[in-house]
Amino acid sequence: MNGMLFILQGVVTLMLAPLMVGLVRFFKARFQNRRGAVPWLPYVSLWSLFAKDMTITRYSSWVFRFVPFVLASIALVLAFVVPTFAYGVVPPFLSNLFLVGGLFAFGSAWLVLGGMDTASAFGNMGASREMTLAALVEPALYVSLATIAFAAGSWSLDGMLAHEAGLSWHGGALPLSFALGALLLVALTENARYPVDNPATHLELTMVHEAMVLEYSGPYLALLEYAAAVKLTVTMLFLFALALPFGLMHVGASPLAVVFWYIVRFVFASFIVAFIESVIVKMRFYRMQEYLSLALFVALAGLVLVLMQQFSF
Amino acid sequence: MLALLYGGAFLLSGAAALAAMALARSAHQSAVTHALLILSGLFGLAASVGYCIELAHGVVRVVPVYATALFAFFVTPLSGFFLALVFLGVTLTSWYALGYLPRYHTHYTLPWLDFATSLFVLGMVGTLMAGQPFAFLIAWELMSVAAYFLIIADGSRESLTAGFRYLLMAQLGFLALLVGLLLLAGGDPFASWAAVAHAAAALPPSARLGAFLLLLVGFGSKAGLVPLHQWLPAAHPQAPSHSSALLSGVMLKVALYGFILSVGLLPAVPFSWAMLVIVLGLASAFFGVLHAVVENDAKRMLAWSSIEHMGLLFTGVGLLLALPNLPVGADAAALTAALTGFVILHALNHSLFKSGLFMATGAVVAQTHTRDLDRLGGLAQRWPLFSGAFLALALSAAALPPTGTFFGEWLLFQPLAIGFRSAAPASSLGAALVLAVVALVGGLAVFAFVKLFSVMFLGRPRSSAAEQAGEMPLLLTLPPLAAAVLVSLSGLLLFPLLAQPERVRLLGLPFASAVLPGAAMSSWGVVFALLGSAAAAAAFYRAFARRTIRITETWDCGAPLTARMQYTATGFSAPIRFFFRALVLSKKTLVVEPVVVTNPWIAKRRLSWATESFWEAGLYRPVGRAAIAISASVRRLQNGAVQFYLALVFAALVGVILFAL
Repeated sequence: MNGMLFILQGVVTLMLAPLMVGLVRFFKARFQNRRGAVPWLPYVSLWSLFAKDMTITRYSSWVFRFVPFVLASIALVLAFVVPTFAYGVVPPFLSNLFLVGGLFAFGSAWLVLGGMDTASAFGNMGASREMTLAALVEPALYVSLATIAFAAGSWSLDGMLAHEAGLSWHGGALPLSFALGALLLVALTENARYPVDNPATHLELTMVHEAMVLEYSGPYLALLEYAAAVKLTVTMLFLFALALPFGLMHVGASPLAVVFWYIVRFVFASFIVAFIESVIVKMRFYRMQEYLSLALFVALAGLVLVLMQQFSF
Repeated sequence: MLALLYGGAFLLSGAAALAAMALARSAHQSAVTHALLILSGLFGLAASVGYCIELAHGVVRVVPVYATALFAFFVTPLSGFFLALVFLGVTLTSWYALGYLPRYHTHYTLPWLDFATSLFVLGMVGTLMAGQPFAFLIAWELMSVAAYFLIIADGSRESLTAGFRYLLMAQLGFLALLVGLLLLAGGDPFASWAAVAHAAAALPPSARLGAFLLLLVGFGSKAGLVPLHQWLPAAHPQAPSHSSALLSGVMLKVALYGFILSVGLLPAVPFSWAMLVIVLGLASAFFGVLHAVVENDAKRMLAWSSIEHMGLLFTGVGLLLALPNLPVGADAAALTAALTGFVILHALNHSLFKSGLFMATGAVVAQTHTRDLDRLGGLAQRWPLFSGAFLALALSAAALPPTGTFFGEWLLFQPLAIGFRSAAPASSLGAALVLAVVALVGGLAVFAFVKLFSVMFLGRPRSSAAEQAGEMPLLLTLPPLAAAVLVSLSGLLLFPLLAQPERVRLLGLPFASAVLPGAAMSSWGVVFALLGSAAAAAAFYRAFARRTIRITETWDCGAPLTARMQYTATGFSAPIRFFFRALVLSKKTLVVEPVVVTNPWIAKRRLSWATESFWEAGLYRPVGRAAIAISASVRRLQNGAVQFYLALVFAALVGVILFAL
């Protein structure tokens, strides 16, 4: 049963990942008074990319050709090990918070290698920026995750969700509000969204993620875009599963409630991302240390909040 | 049997020194010396394996190697582990030297270099086997002085300056060790370690504190702890690459051994001393990695990263020392086991990947004749196998998931996170702050090594030196490759054992996952998950993708690109330099050279740029200035009047008599 749920959870994430990207774009278009494309457009564009020829620059080496596969395999692992709607199914050694953080860093490192193997200043600039962000986001990432883990008494993402699901909302998720806020700031950085990066542009002044994948085309680009979509989906769904721990799947749960709450969280997460991108501006890259220090201090404040709750009882 | 093997390893490194001198005129001198060193390393490794098997069967004993009234050498489980590191490092680097040194036979005086290398190895082995302070100090000094000759081997001005700084620091450190150990031993250098520990227990607390601080200075200066680290990135890279590998990969571990040994001699370590070690460790890790990020000299960057890793190791040791005084309750035993596992695994991993990286970088330098990262690039296309080995080592140094180093560092991160739930809010917050710093160090380490690999190997060559590099010989590829394989194996084979100390005896259980209270990790599980997903992604690609590839130019917006338009290492690390500009003092000056004397507007302008260390500007320079100012004012005593000198002598005599009374 648990094995089935484990596979189901991973497969659902893998299937719905492009939809999350499409929904975010759809909501953003509506915010900008445009009609926007249908939310399932990313499926079509991924498929057409898969059917295209590739051009590869002659200055690139085997590293450039390895990158899409490394990123895709990390995305596959993340889809299975980060819980999105079920708990008690992922082996704890696979969803350990430091392993998930390490996989994020591993993915960033390979993406940067791909950007550096293009012999173009575009890719190099994106690579340098991505590496800076990935390096400086680590303290906030680990402190906020470890705070949630400490409150939940479990060091795996799966166990955190299980703990939250067993508590009332004001007893479980509310004391974590600061830690979750810090995690949201981290998630925006990891997924190259506003205010860190503009995912909708190729303008060199603003771009981080898009600059690195500029030289990729065809199926390789499809793999990279798909990996980015999976990463966005798992981080956002995990975050919102912690914030709204209702209708989480476990043995004996009502399937209708699970599906209902999953859809609510999925749509709400896409809406929030689109909302943030529509109401704030992108920050200057050279002010990123303020943003990332803010994330760390919010995470530390989250720990203080949790400590206050623990020691007052 | 074990004593014979250990003794054989010890004697063979001495024999290598003799061979280097005896065969000085022979063409085979270097090959014979290094063959003897490899043999010594293999003897030592055989002994280590035998010792390990004994320990795994629960036989814990001290292996006596050689003992007289004057000298005593034996191997304990602690020194046995560090000896294994030395022998591993010696085997790898001497294997590499067989291919590396013949290219430099005009550059170095090989017999002397090999003589110094052999004595250096002898000194390290002697230090680790020493059974009393006397043997320890003699061997330590042999190691320190031999290292000086490795650093100045090429005789360049830069090496001599760096060597002088090193020698100064080494001798200061030696003095501190001498006084510190004699203080502990109650003045008897021939007492065994057990007797020293007994004498130390009887010391007054102030003397114990003094001895602790002296030993921290002595071992810390050798290990490159902030603020006594400034010599290290100057000195280590100047040695020939196989010696740099030994200096950075192995000698630093001997300093760590010395520190662990000496805190073991103290009856108890108060909390504040442990905090001092943690703070120094974290500061070293942070400053080391920060400079590794902004450094553009490939070998010096590796030396900075050694400071980072020694800092992490000292942090681990400091946490172990602090644990008895922390309110962690029931977690204490598990945390101790995990942190011990971290120190062991990380020391092993660091010595492997750092030796490997120094050897690999040495091979790149041998082919391109430059250490400047801004002049390299495009080498991955030419040397696929070599670049693969280098990448594996670089990712290990960055402690990213499937490498062995990640699992080692997990044993530091996870205990810190578990430390959140201690019984006092202050220590929870303390654990969170340490975790934040260690995480930042980890992130910056990824930056440093991704930068190192990508500007060396990716894109287009940034200079003709890199463009015209020839084939990479197999003899220079294999030793780094072996180091890379060994680092991966340490995660797969050693981590499951170390993470569950009670299972050490069940050697046939690789799938065991580490169970700290509430936390689990399995290196095999992670590696299989990643490999399985990679296979799935590749199969999907083969099944569905249209695989028609056209090789084209890089997209150039219509104007042709040149290699100089790529980011350099300097450009790549610019954001970090900007964000940490208060700590990495970057000095940019516009140099204007007039072309026409009469017209100031016609001039050549170029930007000269250098970084300076925070400690150099904030500590070394003011201390140096103060010392010179004080000696200048004292010099006024030397006024040439004999009567005044006689008066001074008289005053000194009176002072001594008064003091003696």
